[in-house]
Amino acid sequence: MAEPAKPEVTEEAKMDLLEDDDEFEEFEIDQEWDDKEEGNEALQQWEDDWDDDDVNDDFSQQLRSELESNASKN
Amino acid sequence: MAAYLSMGEAHRRIGDYLSRVTNSISSSDGAALSSLLAVSSAPASPLSDALAAFPDFPRLAGDRFPHLADLLVPLLRAIHSHSIQRFADAYSSFEKAASAFLQEFRNWETPWAMEAMHTVALEIRLLAEKADRELATTGKNPDKLQAAGSFLMKVFGALAVKGPKRIGALYVTCQLFKIYFRLGTVNLCRSVIRSIETARNFDFEDFPVKDKVTYMYYTGRLEVFNENFLVADQKLTYALMHCNPQSESNLRKILKFLIPVKLSIGVLPKRTLLEKYNLLEYADVVTSLKRGDLRLLRQALDRHEDQFLKSGVYLVLEKLELQVYQRLVKKIHIIQRLKEPAKAHQIKLDVVVKALKWLEIDMDVDEVECIMACLIYKNLIKGYFAHKSKVLVLSKQDPFPRLNGKPV
Repeated sequence: MAEPAKPEVTEEAKMDLLEDDDEFEEFEIDQEWDDKEEGNEALQQWEDDWDDDDVNDDFSQQLRSELESNASKN
Repeated sequence: MAAYLSMGEAHRRIGDYLSRVTNSISSSDGAALSSLLAVSSAPASPLSDALAAFPDFPRLAGDRFPHLADLLVPLLRAIHSHSIQRFADAYSSFEKAASAFLQEFRNWETPWAMEAMHTVALEIRLLAEKADRELATTGKNPDKLQAAGSFLMKVFGALAVKGPKRIGALYVTCQLFKIYFRLGTVNLCRSVIRSIETARNFDFEDFPVKDKVTYMYYTGRLEVFNENFLVADQKLTYALMHCNPQSESNLRKILKFLIPVKLSIGVLPKRTLLEKYNLLEYADVVTSLKRGDLRLLRQALDRHEDQFLKSGVYLVLEKLELQVYQRLVKKIHIIQRLKEPAKAHQIKLDVVVKALKWLEIDMDVDEVECIMACLIYKNLIKGYFAHKSKVLVLSKQDPFPRLNGKPV
């Protein structure tokens, strides 16, 4: 005889509410580290001058041929 | 387990534990007291076996140390309940012990017991989480974490005062943040934040660095939710700068929120950063901004929708669309300039419609006009409309202003 579906799913959903994937991990109470002025190397991994005039990438080339082919049709 | 232990030995172990607690108090040994109060981190200790073998332990504690009975009796009960995995009971007992401890702590003039107070604050949160999980599985109301929050507000009140105890207030604030974020009651963060940030007699920089980093992570996230991207950038960048460089998982969490914030002010993470911290869910979003590829942005948002919604960054990322439109119009402009420099500053809306159609986005001229108007209004494009001829006329000077670290 087929068992009725167990309510496990809803329980899991409830448990899920008590999870927080983004919770900051505890630093040990006596944990210390060298708090350097220059900070983490992750601070250097950004670019703010990416907005260049280069249109030689694949996407731009395709866009170009698309616009030009349409233009010639008109 | 209890069978292997004689009553005498159980009695001795319990007595030993009680003496160590009371000795650490009388000698003001904060580190020793702290480790004795870490109920949840000593699951299978010799002490829990002894408590199981000697059920009359409350009387033992009460008789020996009547002046500390309010602390010691519920503390032993909490350790015992926790070891037999009755977490709701363990929580209730621990809360009683914690209240008694707070009472003592208030009366101590120096902050010698700060480490122990912090352990109590951490333990009560962890026990409450375990208790709520247990209550939820047995169909009861999981209300312990909320109760732990109320208790920690009292602890906060005892610490956030003038004097040497104030240095411990930020740690408790961070425990409260963890509770409020988990319960989804982040508006409750406001009063503690106000108390921390408006203190005239205590410099924020004097708090311990681990607490400052945690505090900036959570307040930064709050600013993301409130769409204050500049403040969010400052706070999360502070957290990133001062975080323990060994703590990869916390660095990753900071970046998970800092990346959308940076994107919204026109700053892109390098590919190496996304790879190192396994945040490749942002890779296509970054590419879409570089290319002006609206289709890719929409695909990326679709593909990681659950993840982005859960973290609360979906709306931030969705708003990048305007920047992607700007980039696309700029590409069209550059392509036109290569072919016909004299007319390059006139963009026919038809051409934009065609580019969007190629990206599988169906929009008519009116809708495109609406979006271009929005880009002009938001200063992402400088120019004006020739409405009748359906042409966008770009300014000859700096037609596509950069955000330069300002939000759209």
